[in-house]
Amino acid sequence: MSSANTSTEVGSLASRFNLQQYVVYLGFLAIFLFFAFMLRDSGFLTVRNLSNIVLQTAPVTIMAIGLVFVMSAGEIDLSIGSIVAVAALAAAVTIASYGMAAGIVAGLGAGILIGLINGALVAYVRLPSFLVTLATMGLFAGVSRSMTDLRSISVTDETFTGFFGSGSLLGVPSLIWWTVIAIAIGHLVYRETRFGAHVLATGDNARAASVSGISVPKIRLAVLTISGGLAGLAGLLYAGRLQAAKYTLGETDLMTVIAAVIVGGTLLNGGKGSIVGALVGSLMMGMLNNGLILMGLSVSDQMIVRGLIILTAVAVSLRDKSR
Amino acid sequence: MRRALSIMTILASLLAAHAFAAEGVTTGPNGEKPVPAASLTLTAAQEQQIKDGKFTAALVWHEMSEYTNAVNAGARDEFKRLGIKVVAQTDAGFDAARQKADVETVLAKKPSIILSLPVDPATAAAVYDPARQAGVKLGFVDNCPAGYKQGSDYVTIVSDDLFQMGNKAGIAMAEALGKKGKVGYIFHDADFYVTNQRDGAFKKTIEQDYPEMKIADEAGMADPARSEDIAQAMITQHPDLDGIYVTWAEPALSVLAALRAAGNKHTKIVTLDLNEPAALDMVKGGRVAALVADEAYSIGVTLARASAGSLVGLKAEPFYAVDSIAVTKETVKEGWKKSLNKDVPATIADAMK
Amino acid sequence: MDTTASGRAPVLQLKDIRKHFGGITAIENFALEIYPGEIVALVGDNGAGKSTLVKIVSGVHAPSSGTITMEGREVTMASATMARSHGIEVVYQDLALADQQTVYMNLFLGREPVNRFGLLDRRRMIDETDKLVKELDVRIPSVRATIRNLSGGQRQGVAIARATHWASKLILLDEPTAALGVSETAKVEETVRSLKQRNIGVLIISHSLDQVFRLADRICVLRRGRQIGIRNAAETDKNEIIAMITGLQH
Repeated sequence: MSSANTSTEVGSLASRFNLQQYVVYLGFLAIFLFFAFMLRDSGFLTVRNLSNIVLQTAPVTIMAIGLVFVMSAGEIDLSIGSIVAVAALAAAVTIASYGMAAGIVAGLGAGILIGLINGALVAYVRLPSFLVTLATMGLFAGVSRSMTDLRSISVTDETFTGFFGSGSLLGVPSLIWWTVIAIAIGHLVYRETRFGAHVLATGDNARAASVSGISVPKIRLAVLTISGGLAGLAGLLYAGRLQAAKYTLGETDLMTVIAAVIVGGTLLNGGKGSIVGALVGSLMMGMLNNGLILMGLSVSDQMIVRGLIILTAVAVSLRDKSR
Repeated sequence: MRRALSIMTILASLLAAHAFAAEGVTTGPNGEKPVPAASLTLTAAQEQQIKDGKFTAALVWHEMSEYTNAVNAGARDEFKRLGIKVVAQTDAGFDAARQKADVETVLAKKPSIILSLPVDPATAAAVYDPARQAGVKLGFVDNCPAGYKQGSDYVTIVSDDLFQMGNKAGIAMAEALGKKGKVGYIFHDADFYVTNQRDGAFKKTIEQDYPEMKIADEAGMADPARSEDIAQAMITQHPDLDGIYVTWAEPALSVLAALRAAGNKHTKIVTLDLNEPAALDMVKGGRVAALVADEAYSIGVTLARASAGSLVGLKAEPFYAVDSIAVTKETVKEGWKKSLNKDVPATIADAMK
Repeated sequence: MDTTASGRAPVLQLKDIRKHFGGITAIENFALEIYPGEIVALVGDNGAGKSTLVKIVSGVHAPSSGTITMEGREVTMASATMARSHGIEVVYQDLALADQQTVYMNLFLGREPVNRFGLLDRRRMIDETDKLVKELDVRIPSVRATIRNLSGGQRQGVAIARATHWASKLILLDEPTAALGVSETAKVEETVRSLKQRNIGVLIISHSLDQVFRLADRICVLRRGRQIGIRNAAETDKNEIIAMITGLQH
């Protein structure tokens, strides 16, 4: 390759990718530095507080990984919040009667099953995922309420709560392990496998994917199933952390997850995305919650500031891409 | 003070009129006997000791509503009086996982006190354990985490006098209907001891104290969003109802809407909690006859005071109950001030002119 | 024509091809042979049946009757995947490129090579793409560039390069320059001409007779589903072809 060629390549790469690719990292850094400075005496920078942020965002991060796949394929999954509750309750109820292993199978199985239902309706009945998952969101919110008659179910199995919530391995809390492992596998599958490439191609140009021999329906089924399974895992993490399950779990997470994924550089219309970006986006959301509370703002002010910051982040991260 | 006295006089007269009123007491979540909130006081020496301690507090609420706002204001005012700085305030949006995150977050500021209303008592131990282990004084509204011991794990619980609220709602209904007639009863159909006790007290009061009144129809409401359908069905089946009791104010608005839609002008509504649209209907001589409100502001004051006192060795009672008031067209101004520590909204003040 | 005279077997031979959609006849009695290294143009007015023929050859539609023979063997083409496995590639009018992906990922779209761990072999994709775009002289800033940052001519070049990479027998080009400017058209035509050296057959559909005469060895004319005739480009002229297309003389 000639040197002139190389330099234009570097130039174009720099101008093209700098802002849109790294805006989430820069935003994250800016918010971090802002809080680090403003809250230098308020415990923000303590190891305890920073690790809390990662622990608290673990379920959102896990769900965000699933949503990156779904959105990259040009679909959406609005049902993840309801899946969390159903999975957590299914796990909690099953653990009480049949033990931990059965509980894990029940929780993950519930998530995967709901994902399969979503996926089959989208891929083979050819309904829009927005409407399908909007409907299943309501449907399974109802299911989770009726499962235990609105009661919360305690999870007393200490192996389970340790494994999924409060335990640690080699001095590292289990929720951090889950986050790291899920991100590593998610990133590898998304970036380095044919499946990941086919997901991106499907979201980018479904017709092109189809004439290139990619089974577009199978991809759509797969991404929604992955999303359901990961939401199920998030449900297990919540149940482990709270040592109980309730129908309200995950209910408020949907918007946080979508914001984290979009701020993290995944296009709403598919074809482009980032697992690591979603992690950073998710941590950014957690850090915002944490920092704004520590700043001593009233609840209403916290919501306003958080909304404005997310709006700014989304606007900047979408600016280049939306042309 | 004069306002308080006048309300006491009204209450006393109401109570006196019913010498054989329904028996019943509010109990705490673990069967605790209630102690009047007003009985909790700090000595000047204790107050000085608290002020010298340079303590801090965090407020970890379950959600934000007018009610929580009033509790929050009471707590903040009392903390301010005692020289305690409020370092953080959170809203969990009824999500237990979020409330756990909130507790962990505020701990970074090392508060001496956390005041909170647990979203879900069954899961609450996992939520508050980090704070308990850090030696933070925990004060709760309404409920406490399952398995926690008062005195060692938390300071106290402050709540409404739930029985009194339901009882006053029953009395207010009887007054509005001239002590006779048919009543519809819309209760909260969920295992939630706050609403269960209030609803039960209303029913008991009507059934025991007013022989000429009858609960003609009952309907359980699990989902407030469906309250209008429930009210519609009730009005259709019993167009001759003289009054309807609704478990709290938001669904009562739906009942009001259903009555309006049906062109029904004779059925009266009694419900719990202050709420502007409902109060407006009341002062305009509409269908709402009375709103029974707890002294939410006092809950915050009492809880803050008990928790602050515990830092200097005060032993709080396990369960304090604040009074409630039946607010009618005539007492809406005083009632608003006493319950929410706010002036009555301008719309209502205008409507009364 | 020297390719036909060479006596080699045609890469594609269509015989007695008919296609009905319900009661409507889209193609009747169509026959065509394409030899290695030969460029054949398919011309005709709108609705003449060109796109139906493309779909038959690319495996999207099966013919109602007739045979398709490739290098002497009769084949069935029930799907686009089967057509591809027979060495036929199509450059669609809309190019069928994934805009947000890189040039090299598009070149291997749906056929990405993996290493022994089952992970994408990016090195190989990049190297092969680089080699190919240089051979075909498709001037793009980098094989890592994203498609949507390329010009129309560059995209067309990538689409042709992709077809070239995978086609062992035949490439179908559907209106390859319809959306391009003059200089970009010239560049794409140059690329198409260079395919002759690779010994693959090319079937091109174009509205531009000037382009047809610049590129094609033979010209096949369709009108209302009927094959009007095939002419050697060197032995005919535009007037004759126009007359055949419109049916006004002849």
